[in-house]
Order: sequence, then C-alpha cells, then structure tokens
Amino acid sequence: MAPITEVEHLTNPLVTVEQLYSLQDDDRNHAENGQSVRYAQAVLTQAAGILLRLPQDVVATSLVLLQRFWVENLGQGHATADLKIASEASIYLSAKLSFTPVSPRSVCNVYAYLLSTSSSLPFIGCPPPSAATPPGPQSYYVSEGSYEREREKILLCESLILSSIGFDVHVALPHTLALTYVQALGVSSRKLVKRVLEHLNGGLLSPQLLYLTHQPNALAVAAIYLAAKEVGVKLVDGNWWEVFDVEREDLGFLVLAFGSFVGFAAAEKERWENEREKLRELLSGGG
Amino acid sequence: MAQAGGTPSKVPLERTDDGKLRFRGCSRIQDYDFLGKLGEGTFGEVSKARSKRTGAVVALKKILMHNEKDGFPITALREIKLLKQLDHVNILKLEEMAVERSKDPKKKPSMFMVTPYMDHDLSGLLENPSVHFTEPQIKCYMIQLLEGCKYLHENKILHRDMKAANLLINNYGILQIADFGLARPYDDEPPKEGQGGGEATRDYTCLVVTRWYRPPELLLQLRRYTTAIDMWGVGCVFGEMFKGRPILAGNSDLNQAQQIFELVGSPNDDNMPGWSELPGCEGVKEFEFRRGNLPTVFREQGSLAISLLSELLKLDWRKRVNAIDALKHPYFHSPPLPARPGDLPQFEDSHELDRRKFRGQKQALPPAPAGGSVGMGPNGQWAENGRPPPNIQRGRGHQPYQNGQGHHRPPPPYSRPYQPGPDIDTYRRPTLHPDPSLPLPPKPPPALDQSGAFRNNNRVLVDPQYNGGFRNDSRGPGIMDQRRDRSGGGAVYGGDRRRVPEVAKVDTYIPNYSNVSERAAPRRDEPPPSRDGYPPRESLPFARDSVPPSREAFIPSREHQLLPPRDPTYPLRDDLPPPRREDDHRRDGLPYERGRYEDGRRDAGGYDRRRSRSPRGRDWDRPPMRERDAADRYRR
Repeated sequence: MAPITEVEHLTNPLVTVEQLYSLQDDDRNHAENGQSVRYAQAVLTQAAGILLRLPQDVVATSLVLLQRFWVENLGQGHATADLKIASEASIYLSAKLSFTPVSPRSVCNVYAYLLSTSSSLPFIGCPPPSAATPPGPQSYYVSEGSYEREREKILLCESLILSSIGFDVHVALPHTLALTYVQALGVSSRKLVKRVLEHLNGGLLSPQLLYLTHQPNALAVAAIYLAAKEVGVKLVDGNWWEVFDVEREDLGFLVLAFGSFVGFAAAEKERWENEREKLRELLSGGG
Repeated sequence: MAQAGGTPSKVPLERTDDGKLRFRGCSRIQDYDFLGKLGEGTFGEVSKARSKRTGAVVALKKILMHNEKDGFPITALREIKLLKQLDHVNILKLEEMAVERSKDPKKKPSMFMVTPYMDHDLSGLLENPSVHFTEPQIKCYMIQLLEGCKYLHENKILHRDMKAANLLINNYGILQIADFGLARPYDDEPPKEGQGGGEATRDYTCLVVTRWYRPPELLLQLRRYTTAIDMWGVGCVFGEMFKGRPILAGNSDLNQAQQIFELVGSPNDDNMPGWSELPGCEGVKEFEFRRGNLPTVFREQGSLAISLLSELLKLDWRKRVNAIDALKHPYFHSPPLPARPGDLPQFEDSHELDRRKFRGQKQALPPAPAGGSVGMGPNGQWAENGRPPPNIQRGRGHQPYQNGQGHHRPPPPYSRPYQPGPDIDTYRRPTLHPDPSLPLPPKPPPALDQSGAFRNNNRVLVDPQYNGGFRNDSRGPGIMDQRRDRSGGGAVYGGDRRRVPEVAKVDTYIPNYSNVSERAAPRRDEPPPSRDGYPPRESLPFARDSVPPSREAFIPSREHQLLPPRDPTYPLRDDLPPPRREDDHRRDGLPYERGRYEDGRRDAGGYDRRRSRSPRGRDWDRPPMRERDAADRYRR
C-alpha cells in the first residue's frame, strides 16, 4: 500500500495476469456463466445509480470498486458475496466518498424496486404490462424489519469490500481525459463527445474488466478512435495515439472490446429475457 | 494482457517498487505482535505493535465504528484516502491497513490504520514537567512543522485541525503532522511566495479546528477561508512551545475571540479588512478596543521570535504569512541556529497513558530538572550527563527521518539509565539527573545575545558552516542532505519528491460532470451544475421516465441536511464529561445525519480524537455516553 505517487494519481492499480486467471478459474467452477452474471450486476448497479440520482462519476467509481472486489474476493476463493448486496454496498460506499452521499434506506428502496416485477430494467421486470393491471407498489415495498436486516448486510459487505481492495478507493476515470484529448485533437463536437462517453460508460459494464486492465489514457484514446470512426470524424494522420502514450496493441484490443460490447449486451439481454425469474433469484442472492 | 510488453517509458503499475502486488487486500492483524496499549479514551484505541514481516515498530489505530448506522466512518475513509496520496518526511505516513476478521462471519471486521510508531506528541511533551525546549530545538520543530504545512498547502490540502496534540515527534527529533480526519482538498490556488494565504473563491464549513487553535476569521465565521487557517494554528503551537501550555485557551468561542484580540489587538479595518462584514462570533460583532500585548507576553523570546509570531498570528488572513515565507524568516537564520533533528535529546515516551500520571503529579512531584535530558540545556550544558546523540544516525546510511523508513528502528544504541526502583510504577521518570539549581523549568534563552553560551565540550554548536537551515557538520547528513539524496539532486528546500500534480483535479472527490441540476437541491459547495459531457439518459438501458412512484424515497429529506443545532453551553474540555442533553435521543435517532460538513460531506464519526480539545462539530460523534463516562473517570 504505497502512497499514491504523481503517476498513480492519474492511473489505477491494474490486475495481474494471475489474478485474471484465477477469476477465470472461479468462473469455471460455477454453474452460471460468471461473465454473464457480472454483466447483469453491473447493469443493475448503473441503473440504481441513476435512480439514486448519483453523478456518473460516482456510479463509475462504484462499478470499478465492484470489479476490484470481484478480482480480489472471488479470485482468492473467499466466500461469495451476495450479488445484490455487493452492488448495494459498492454504490453506497462510492456515494459516501463523493459529495452526494445517499442513505442506506434509499439504496434498499431502489434495489427493491429494480428487482421487483415492476422493475423498469428491461430484462428483469415483466414485459410492459398490458395496461389492464400495472403491478402495484406493494411489489417493491421494503418493510422496516427487512430494511434493518438488509442494512446490516450492506454495511458488513462495505467493510468486506474495503478490506479486500486494501482501501484503494481512489479511481482515476478516463472521462475527463477523453474530453481533453478530443479538444487537443481539435475535433470537439457534441456528436463525437456523446459517442465517446457512451463507449466509456459501456466499457464500465463490460465483463472484460477493461478498467482494471487498462489505464484511463488508453481507454480514452480507444473510445475516441472508435467514436470518430463511427461518427465519421476525420482525425489527424499518423499514429496520434502515441502522443497520449498508448500503444497500437492496446488501442486495437480496446477498440475491439468497445466495439463488440453492443453485440454482447444485446445477446445478454435476449438471454435473460427468457430467464427473468432465474436472474432475479441469482441477483437477490437466492441462487 | 496487452499491458504486458511495454516500452521502457511505460511504468508498469501492477506491482510496487518492491515487487509486491499493488492491487491486493489488507494485511491481517495477525501479522503484528501486540506490544502494549498507547492510549485510549474518547478517540478509541492506539496500540504499539511490531510487524512480524519487517520487524518495524508501528502504531495501530483502531477505527471505531461509532455510528453503526452509517457503516464505515467517512472521516476515517477520507483520512485514509488523503494519507495515501501524501508522502513527506513531516507527514505521518499510513503504512497500510490491517484487518481483524471476526470469527463470526456476520460481524464486521475491525480495521486498523498502521503508521510508524512515534514516541511523543508535542502536547504530551509540553505537559511533561521535566521537559522544556531550548530555542534551537523549537526552531528545529518549527522548520519541520512549516515544511509539512508547505507540502500540504502546495498540494492543495487544508489540514483544518492544526494543534500540538496532532504533532507527533519521535526520538530522532522528527516531527510529523498527523490526524487528517478533518482535512480536505483545497479548491483554490495554493499560497504563493510573498502573497500570504491568497484568497478563496468558495465556501467551506466553519465547524473546523479545535477552538484554542482556531483563527479569528473562523471565529467570526468566514466561510471563504484559505490555507491561512492552518498557519494560525502553527502560530499557536509556536507560542505554546515557549510557554509550555496553549497560549489562547478560551472557554467559549466568544472568549476565544476576546483572548485573541487581547493578545494581538482588536480588529479594525486596517488590521483585518472586511472583518465587520463577517457574521461575527456568537452574534457579537463589537469588540472592546485592545492594543494587543503580544510583544510584552513574549518579551523574553527576543524580537525575531516576536516578529515571526506576529506574522503567524496576524488577524488579516490575506496577509498572514504562508509556510513558504515563514521558512525564510530571519528567525531561522540567526543564532542560535536550529538544531538538527538527530541532535535533539530523547525523552521517555509520553503517551496518553503516561500522561495521565503527569497530570496527577505535576504539582506533587519535585520540580523536574532540565539540563541533562534536554541535550542542549538553557545554559549551554550540552550533553553534560554523558548522553551522546544517538549514534545510529551516523555513518550507517540509516535515515531515521525518512518518511516510511524511519520505523525500521534498530535496537536502542544504549540502554536506559538506571531508574530508581520505587519511582518506576508511579512515574516513569525521564532519563535525567536532578539539577537542584533549576527548581522550575527555566525560560528559553533570549534569541540574540547568547551565541557564546552554545559552545560547549569543544563543539561549536552554532556552526559557522551553517547551511540550509540546519547545521551541517561532518556528523552525517542533515535532513536536507538526505532529502536531496532522495530526490536525486533536487533543490535543497522544496525538494519534495512527490507532488500531487495539477491534474489532480480528476480526483473523484469533486464531481467533474455531474447531473447535479437534477437533484433536489444543489448543495452550496458543489461545483456549478453542468451537464456537459454527461451521457444522455436516453442512451442508458431503460427510460428515465420509469422512476417508480415513490420518488420522495430517493430524495433525502431536507431536514436531514440541516446541521444539528449548536449548543453554546456544550463543554469542550476533555476533562468535563459532556452533559446528557435533552435532545440527545432525538439526535441519536437521526436515521441519516447530514453532518456538519456543510461542504457536502457527511461526517459519521470522529473515530480518533487523541485529545478532545476538539471543535464542537465533533462532539456528537463521540462514543455513547457510557463509554465516554468510563473513559473520563479513568482519566482522572
């Protein structure tokens, strides 16, 4: 736990190859596809962040903390933490660290709603009700008793997360870097920037743990590269990414990862839509 | 992984310099051998321990979970996050975090902050009747304190609880600033040379800094304060080192202000421009005219000390000297010159538990003589009693005051002198020899005309080859030399190896692109709302309109954002148990407390209150009543 140096302030601790391998091993030992489950958990966390009205940087931080927790905790064969609770704890923790803290009660309410049959999460809730009987609020009511129990679990998981990640709660995000880079390249436009940020936020949900394998500058450059291609913005000639200290291989890998994410997300959605109940159970800790 | 084959220009970040995984969990408490308790009380528990891995002696600070409702205390989290970004000789280093997992998996683990073991805190040293400081020693500590402050302010951090009890000193003479529970990033320009504290552009909360060290602008409730608030505290500590006790010990905020004006003069538009526009202290805005008696009170300290002290205790926060300029003050460059840290005397440990004994016996004990223990005595009797400066400092390349390495302590170079039997239990007498000619701790020597007195034992204590603030003789590297080594040929001063770069703004502390405009009420301290660069909600996997009907449930009620009421009668002294207040139950029952961090940050527990001359804001963070009473009773 060395103090954060100059360079570390802009960067994140990365996982090692061994850590990734052990995560993969862990995935194999489970009946359910680990990537799929992690993706569902990430989507749940992002959705909860929006309902909690948290700024995206807080949500992004919580997603990265969650990924770090996965690697540290699962990779070493510790007790599996409840998917929902871990997600709740990470978002509660990152909100606490920000200027926009939320109460455990709000967190419980939001998750109860998101995992209920009335959920607006496309692959968890019921198909849009056929107007006749919209599901009532009873389905996501959290009683005082169950709130107390859940809060205990969240707070316990919070300390579990903190000790697992060695209190490395500092997360350097690529978003602002990307904006700076776009301006430096002189191609700033609303359309391009929107696409860049979409890629960066998509990358947060990716089960490939992009934010743990690559530094923010590489993520930003790859998102710009891909977005410029898609939007049709001409970037400068030459290997401009080298200016931002990114290598061709990294760039290629990340562009592929960002680019393939749309397909992956669509496949996941389709898959879970047929197994709503199973997913809900999995996330709620029943599975 | 694509990261693997990097060019040499790339810094691999998977591992630290020593090859350990950078990305790893905490160590376990079992990695440490418990050596004894150092202190306990309202702030929790600090113990001394030895690392089984490195053999280093460390202090373990247990993080108390006062407010179970909010989970891990945010003050602790914030302190940990901040400390991990800092690296300076004069800042207490957070080595790592240690975890004690409970056998019951349903129980929360206990967390410990691991820092190098420091032998004393300044407040404890000053309370020790047998210790008094010489002027070279005071200068040495002041330089280190100012270097620490300079580093903090340069890196845009406000400490906000500068006080003697938060300054730790080890037996190598190194002073370190500790307790960052109230610290926060400073959003304005760091102070510049020759320009005092500068101006701030945003508001912060006033509920900071222990009262006795609180600057006048905070007492008058200026919210747009600057790094100058820490400099006031430095001034108070400076005076305290001369007087041996806090120099401005007000018993209420108003009384504190009055004492300040008594010392430095009452505010007017010349010495504190803009003071009349401030809200005032407890509603009082008029103060009796005072000329200020600082030169009289400190007349024995000499004109240079008085000059520096009045620069630090300047009412006008814009003109109050900053750390950069204070270090250049002639006080540090005129005889008697500052001692080098390694030459300072060693003292018996003084920690909470030991100090309690002093408190009870300060009067009863025979007056403690001074000479021997304070190597360079007031009359110039350097090491008269045969206590050489610790020889570990010499020639072995050991760098005792290097942050993070100083804890690798070799065994003491010599054993403690004989201590008379009967005294051992009741009073751990400092290692010294009685000198009946000194019935009371003598006054520090006058600043100027004493140079001759500091020559003894054939050693020129005021070295003509004075260099860079510390004497530079052939007895090993001075602090500055070592730093130069570390930084690979950097400047003598300001050679701080690591500076949090300008780009530090990426810190998630400050939301960069927030959807704040959509929140119930933007808080005062938040940056202006901006949607620039924020992904449109429509791009997310579900529609924004699908918010469930119970909207209110997600918006924290306004009520909870209000500050708990302040009670002017609430005692702050640690020896007075706070009275049970009528509204305590209500306060305890607050489901979700938007604490006193009006600057948008919640406070969920002052988990480490070394000495509770604490700002009022902390009082409701104290442990439950029963614990508190017990602690106080024990203390008496």
